[in-house]
Amino acid sequence: TPRHATPSIPSRSLPARQPANVLEEARARLHVSSVPESLPCREQEFQDVYSFVESKIIDGTGGCMYISGVPGTGKTATIHEVMRCLQHAADVDEIPPFHFIEINGMKMTDPHQAYVQILQKLTGEKATADHAAVLLEKRFSNPAPKKKTTVLLVDELDLLWTRKQNVMYNLFDWPTRRHAHLVVLTIANTMDLPERIMINRVASRLGLTRMSFQPYSFKQLQQIITSRLNKVKAFEEDALQLVSRKVAALSGDARRCLDICRRATEICEHSSTTGLVGMCHVMEALNEMFSSAYITAIKWAAVQEQLFLRAVIAEFRRLGLEEATFQQVFVQHQALCRVEGLQPISVSEGMAVCQRLGACRLLLLESSRHGVLQRVRLNVSQDDVLYALKAD
Amino acid sequence: KSHISFVMVCYEEQANLILFLQPQQYSYPSIFIYGHRASGKSHVMQVLFKELELPHATVSCVECVSVASLFEHVLLSFFGYEAASLLPRSPSLSDFVRIYRQQCSRSPAKQTRYIVMEKSELLRDADANLLPALLRLQELVEDNITVILLSEISWDKFRPNTGCFEPLLLHFPDYSKVELQQILSLDRNPSYSAEFYSSYINILLGVFYSVCRDLRELRHLAALNFSKFCEPLAEGKVKETDTHKLWRNIEPHLKKAMQTVYLREVSSHQWEQMQQMEKEADNCLFFPLPKGLSAHTHVELPYYSKFLLIAAYLASYNPARTDKRFFLKHHGKIRKTHFQKKNEKASNHLLGPKPFPLDRLLAIFYSVVDSRVAPTASIFSQISSLVTLQLLTQVSHDDQLDAPKYKCAVPLDFICAISRTVNFDIVKYLYDFLQ
Repeated sequence: TPRHATPSIPSRSLPARQPANVLEEARARLHVSSVPESLPCREQEFQDVYSFVESKIIDGTGGCMYISGVPGTGKTATIHEVMRCLQHAADVDEIPPFHFIEINGMKMTDPHQAYVQILQKLTGEKATADHAAVLLEKRFSNPAPKKKTTVLLVDELDLLWTRKQNVMYNLFDWPTRRHAHLVVLTIANTMDLPERIMINRVASRLGLTRMSFQPYSFKQLQQIITSRLNKVKAFEEDALQLVSRKVAALSGDARRCLDICRRATEICEHSSTTGLVGMCHVMEALNEMFSSAYITAIKWAAVQEQLFLRAVIAEFRRLGLEEATFQQVFVQHQALCRVEGLQPISVSEGMAVCQRLGACRLLLLESSRHGVLQRVRLNVSQDDVLYALKAD
Repeated sequence: KSHISFVMVCYEEQANLILFLQPQQYSYPSIFIYGHRASGKSHVMQVLFKELELPHATVSCVECVSVASLFEHVLLSFFGYEAASLLPRSPSLSDFVRIYRQQCSRSPAKQTRYIVMEKSELLRDADANLLPALLRLQELVEDNITVILLSEISWDKFRPNTGCFEPLLLHFPDYSKVELQQILSLDRNPSYSAEFYSSYINILLGVFYSVCRDLRELRHLAALNFSKFCEPLAEGKVKETDTHKLWRNIEPHLKKAMQTVYLREVSSHQWEQMQQMEKEADNCLFFPLPKGLSAHTHVELPYYSKFLLIAAYLASYNPARTDKRFFLKHHGKIRKTHFQKKNEKASNHLLGPKPFPLDRLLAIFYSVVDSRVAPTASIFSQISSLVTLQLLTQVSHDDQLDAPKYKCAVPLDFICAISRTVNFDIVKYLYDFLQ
């Protein structure tokens, strides 16, 4: 009976603890899932989306909007904030009431499931994908008195791509109908997605209402954290600046920034120096998050594994190529063993060493059934390997 | 335990290693046993489990065309029919683990359960997650279970690219000559003395040991030829102790067996018939052999097909630049040194056939056939039927009609036989055999 096999997240038996001290309080506030009171640094975008959706709701027309930006720039959070405000406005009768539906491409097993989910959220009916498409088609093309505007948020749009692109086509075609009263907001990561993967008739229906979210600058990141902390004094100013500068230089991902800050509070807690999160804690957290795991892995690898990596590099130097067979590398390995005064290992042991490195993805290997003829390539740059081997 | 060691001659060491694992305690999750063919891997396992009455499931990976049959077999032999019927129609690994855990909680293991996978090299072709999961099945089902993999291939060629739980490696070494003699002497004919049979085995190994160390093969040969060995004894010509005369009698016979019945040219049934006939024909040693399998390679072909095949052979094994010299009447003056074989290249017969285009095949064909042949549909259909007979092979399947390329896939003696039937001296036209 598959009933027992359904996976589920264990439910919480005790309520979440109230934060006891300043650091815990800060950690709770910095958690990605805690909704902030306001979204700083996205006022312009907020305003644009708000006025777009509001005008459509008031006019009773439909439209599409495409929103792009790298991960962690606050796309989804901003849209949710807009919808919350609009919902509030509808509650106090400033604008006509509307439906809000959200679907996420990542949460679907198949792009056609989008129809089923939309239909279920609109009307509560359950239907197969084909039938749901027909029902939605009917609903959006036929006139109905007193129809409320529907706002549909499609997150992770690129996953709704099918070969004939009929799901995307329908999503963008419905708003153009006269009686649809549908506003579609789509979110994806890349700016040129419509040009890259959509055929012309889909891209043209999506229209040119586009908005891109720029990565945060270090000042904005700093502002986000301070607004999140909201007078909870847990961080030194310089520490915050260091985090935001580092993250802004790499990606400008706010979620990453929050993660590092949370980790820094943990480190501060463990170091048992009571007080603020200082420069050293933040440095440690940054090192943890940004340092390459490959170099650490090579540093702590076994003697024979390190020797094998050296043999790989020696063989690459000899051949002048970036690829060698296991056989060739193993000859070098035997020679290195003798130079180092170690007992030369057997082919089977050498193979085990090689395949262990391959399983850690330090090497790129072919299937093991090629035996000694399997080709070996490095997955890390030679400089990294040399640096890691020299460090000790 | 003494009984077991009696049944298994020459396996004591391996058997002890396996017995060392105490069945009441948790044993190692997976054991990988490798050794050559017929080194007693399956036999040791079978006998051990039978004698010790351990719960086990023996699965041959050749039989398990789908994982479903594997799972079913394992559940069937551990928990009975009800458990096996719980499996859904196309079970996944997690279905198996779930049902196993259910059943296992009902009837917990008192002893280690064993799953023996024979020919486990085929597991590598199954789903990528099957082999790693089997290796740590103990951990997955939380039961005292050990998976034993038997294979002829070493573990190095099994390891998945993403790594896995390393099993305990156990090697079954080959039998030495003395051990083979010991094992083969076990199944002696009761109507003769043990010394007599062991001297027969000795002679047999003297002939065959250099080419064959496979116990099964040797046992088969010993059984086939023993009646011949006993013949002079039955006729009363020699005594049992007269080893030299017995050896003189059997040795040419065994040599002949190596060329015929060992290569399966002659089936063992035919071989027994031959021995019967030889006896009737008054012990003539040079009795004509019946035609073996490879003697039947002669194929009846239509006249032009023979020439097409000859032309294909010439096109495959001659370099194209020599065509003018072989097949044109007035090829102009060519210095003899030009055709002297330079020692830079190996013979084409060593390198194998080269592909050639259809045009060249037809050009050679018209030049080797004496009469005028019209390029009718039948000629072209004969080419394609030669392809379906696998005498020619089409290479580079890019286009069926436009300039197809072929290779000739017949050996030299076959083509010589064909050209003899049409009175064509093919050796004269082959570049490799040019004087």
